[in-house]
Order: sequence, then structure tokens, then C-alpha cells
Amino acid sequence: MRADYLPLGGSLAFVEQHGEPDAPPVLCLHTAGQSGVQWRHVAPALAARGYRVVVPDLPGHGRSEPAPGGPVTDLGAYADWCLALIDRLGLARPGVVGCSIGGKIALDVAVRASDRLAAVVAMAADAHTGGRPSVRGLRRELSDVAAPSRTDRTYLGTLAVVGRDVPRERAELIATMHRREDPAVSTSDLLGWATHDLRDALPGITCPAHLVVGDDDLWLDVARVRAAAASIPGARCTVLPGIGHYPMEEIADFDAVLDDWLAELGAVRA
Amino acid sequence: MADRWFEDFVVGERWTSPPREVTAEDLAAFTRVSGDDHPLHAGPDAILQGPFGVAVAMGLLQGLGLHGEAVLGLLDTHWAYRRPVRVGDLLTLEVTIVRARRTSAGDRGVVTRAMALTNQDGETVQDGTTAALIAARGPGPDPDGRAFGTVGWAEALTEKADLADEVASWDGTVGLRCGDDEVHLRVYRGRVIEVARRSPRGATFTLGADAATWLELVEAPDNPFMRLAMAGRFTVTGDGYEYLRLTSALHRLADAAREIA
Repeated sequence: MRADYLPLGGSLAFVEQHGEPDAPPVLCLHTAGQSGVQWRHVAPALAARGYRVVVPDLPGHGRSEPAPGGPVTDLGAYADWCLALIDRLGLARPGVVGCSIGGKIALDVAVRASDRLAAVVAMAADAHTGGRPSVRGLRRELSDVAAPSRTDRTYLGTLAVVGRDVPRERAELIATMHRREDPAVSTSDLLGWATHDLRDALPGITCPAHLVVGDDDLWLDVARVRAAAASIPGARCTVLPGIGHYPMEEIADFDAVLDDWLAELGAVRA
Repeated sequence: MADRWFEDFVVGERWTSPPREVTAEDLAAFTRVSGDDHPLHAGPDAILQGPFGVAVAMGLLQGLGLHGEAVLGLLDTHWAYRRPVRVGDLLTLEVTIVRARRTSAGDRGVVTRAMALTNQDGETVQDGTTAALIAARGPGPDPDGRAFGTVGWAEALTEKADLADEVASWDGTVGLRCGDDEVHLRVYRGRVIEVARRSPRGATFTLGADAATWLELVEAPDNPFMRLAMAGRFTVTGDGYEYLRLTSALHRLADAAREIA
């Protein structure tokens, strides 16, 4: 693995890369408030399967510097940033995989530049949340004084959306690591999540697409994810039984699962 | 039939009836009894009047053989109509005991049953609760473990839950409500100093839900408190900030509720 601090969008971006530089590239995007550490098991294993795996920390997350304009509330800005990263690294026809806001950002990247992508895999993401969570409540949460017991709520709230089939120890590790967030950044991410509406844009995606949702994911309505997939020409939709909001952290051999999905989409193959 | 007394009904007990088909005769008979001849209740696509479901539910309940001579009377029915009922539907009744509370007279008690009618596709068409007055076999006492929202239950909860760390810096009152039953836990610096129906200055906040939600809380394989709260199954009145502040204390209380249930 190599790790770099790359100047990107006016600040330094922390980016991990795994695998051979000329292998088919896959860009992996994390969830709201979190970082590339969510892909720590998947990235090297996927690289061993013959991919060039690129895992950035989005601006303001993990080891990346904050975005110059402060916490980002527009997922479209993250999509632009991802396209700039693809340019910066010279990734040729990457697959883009993301979860939660990362899934929605991946879809937006495909909306903006399908012709430059091999495929998109969007997990735990739909076209429009329908106003959940409430924007008013999120704006209130931005004020630290109105957001008590933040880390306990992140910990217990994460446990509540991890799937029933995930062993207790793994679920607790996921939830404990999710405490490592900047609440101003995660809440801004969620404002982006709640307000970003891709309903009209999804039919314009022309690269192979796969939407994935766990049936224990309280944040997503399976029917809405199916509807989002149905609006993209030729897109697949998979419902994962017993899995929640974080498939890449919840599923032990997720690299094999993702490898299969990318292979099915045809365009990316190690 | 072997009679069931008040003490024989345990909160969380469940029964399912055999299916009952809705016939054209049902439609004709019910329309005749009610006198409601609105066009909705006629023709090939007729919808049976809502109260038809209540009547069917009561019949299916009786068919379960739970109630004999100890029943002193039906007290109330709270009911919702979720989906239309039509001729040809196969209705099944699911019954859950959600509350059993002895009256002050002591020789009888109120047993509340959550009832749901489902159709052949497994959809809930009507549901609600009905309460019946049932004679007691003896004088009690009755178990507290599932008497949600009562002083006895909250005292057992307090004994089981170690909240010292979670509320070490807290001064206030937690209200816990199940249906109409509410109990107050007066907390000061890490200790519950009083459990009462009402604390002098009222609850700082009250966490409330219906009996079915409390039952799910104590019966789920893992503590589902956050899941239920995030899904809006609990309501909070009073100081929402203090409610959020006590998130982990409430999670711990839910653990205790599961242990004593």
C-alpha cells in the first residue's frame, strides 16, 4: 500500500492506493463523517484479486485537510472532487464504489461522467431520501450545544443499523470506530444526504450500475432503492439479507462479493 | 372448557386463530343489521363495513377457547381499519396479551389484548386493542416484570440497572410511559432517589410507547431501543435535550427492562 497527501481542490487529500498501478482501478468511497479506514480489510484483499484500489478520505474526514470553504453540505461538490482525484491519479475507466453518502456520490459521479467510468456500485443509497433525516433537525445538530451525548448516539445509532447477521464483536468494532468523527463534518454530510436529489439525473447514467441495500438498513427503504435502480437503464439491484447500512464493514469476505459484482458489470475485470 | 382466571393471562402470551372466510352471506347479514346501505357495501367489489372486522375478531377470539366463566365483561375496543375487507377474504386473528392489571377491589383484573386481523396475503387489515374484566383466582400479588409504566416495574428496573456512571452529573426526573401508565424516576447525582407515579415537579422528559412496543423491547433478541427510537416507535415529551443527553442511560434502562421481563 502507498499513501499520499495530494493537493486537491485547495487542500491536502489523504489517499491510499493498493495493488499494481496498471491494474483496473476501483475508487472506494466511505460513509458520512467516516474515513477510508472503513475499507481497511477490503482494499488490500481486493488489490490481491488484481485491482488498483484507491481509497481517499473525503475533505474534512480522516487524515484529509478540511475543504477550504468549511464542511461540505453539497454531495455534488464531493462528486466533483472525486472526478478531480480520478484526473489527478490518471485513473483510466475506474469502477466507483461507495456506501451511504459515498454511494450517492458514486451515483453522482456516474451522472456527471458515465463515459469515463467502467461501472458504478452504490450501496445504501437511493435517488432522494424524501426528507429523511429532517433538515431542520440536522441544522439544529450542527450547533454543538444542541447535540448532547453525540458519541454515545453515534455508537448506539450505528449498532442499530448494523444487520442482524453480523457477529456482535464485529458490530461493536464498527460502532466503536464510528465514534471517530467530526460532528460538524458528519452532520454537514447528512445535510448533503438529505437534500441531494438525483431522481431526474439517474436515467442519464450510461455506465453499468449496481445498487445494493441491506434489508436491515433502517436508513433506507428497499422499495426506494429498487425504484432508483429501475430508473437507471440496465441497472441491477441487490438486497442483502441480514445486512445493514455498512456492507463493506459488515460482510467478512466483502472483497470476494465486490469482485463478483464488478465482474458481473462486465467492464472491470482483473 | 378449562377456565382461565386473571392470573393466568401473562403479558406477551400469543395465539393465532384458524382462518375464517368472508362470505356473501356475511355481507348481506351485516348490511341488514347495520342498515348501512352505502354503495360501497354493494356490488361485486363491495367493501364490508369496518365494524364487521371487530365482530369477526370477537368471534375468532371466542373460538380460541381462552375465555370462560371468569370473564365479567368487555370494557372497551380501540380499533383501526387499515385495509378493505371483501367477500372471499380469509381472515386470521392474532392475539397478544399486552397488559394485565388487578383492580383496586383486588378480586378481578383488566386484561388488555392487542388483536390484529390479517388477510390471506399476510397483510394487517384491522387492528387494535380490547380490554376485558376477568375474575381473579386469588388475592395476588402479581408479577412486576412486564407491568410497564407501573411503580412496581420501575422499582424492579431501578434495582437492576446500574446508572451511576451515566447519570453521575444529572439532576432530574425520567418519566417512562406505557399507554396511559406513567411512572417517574427521580434522579440525583447518579442515584434514583424516588420512584413514584408523579414526582413533585414533574418529569424532565417522558419516554412513551404503546404496550406492543414495550413488549418488543423486552422480547427482541438484542436490545432494540435505538432501533425503535430511530423508527419513531417511542415518543418523547418534555425536555428533548435532556432526553438526548441520557441516551446511554436509557439504553441501560432498556437492558434492565429486558432482564426483569
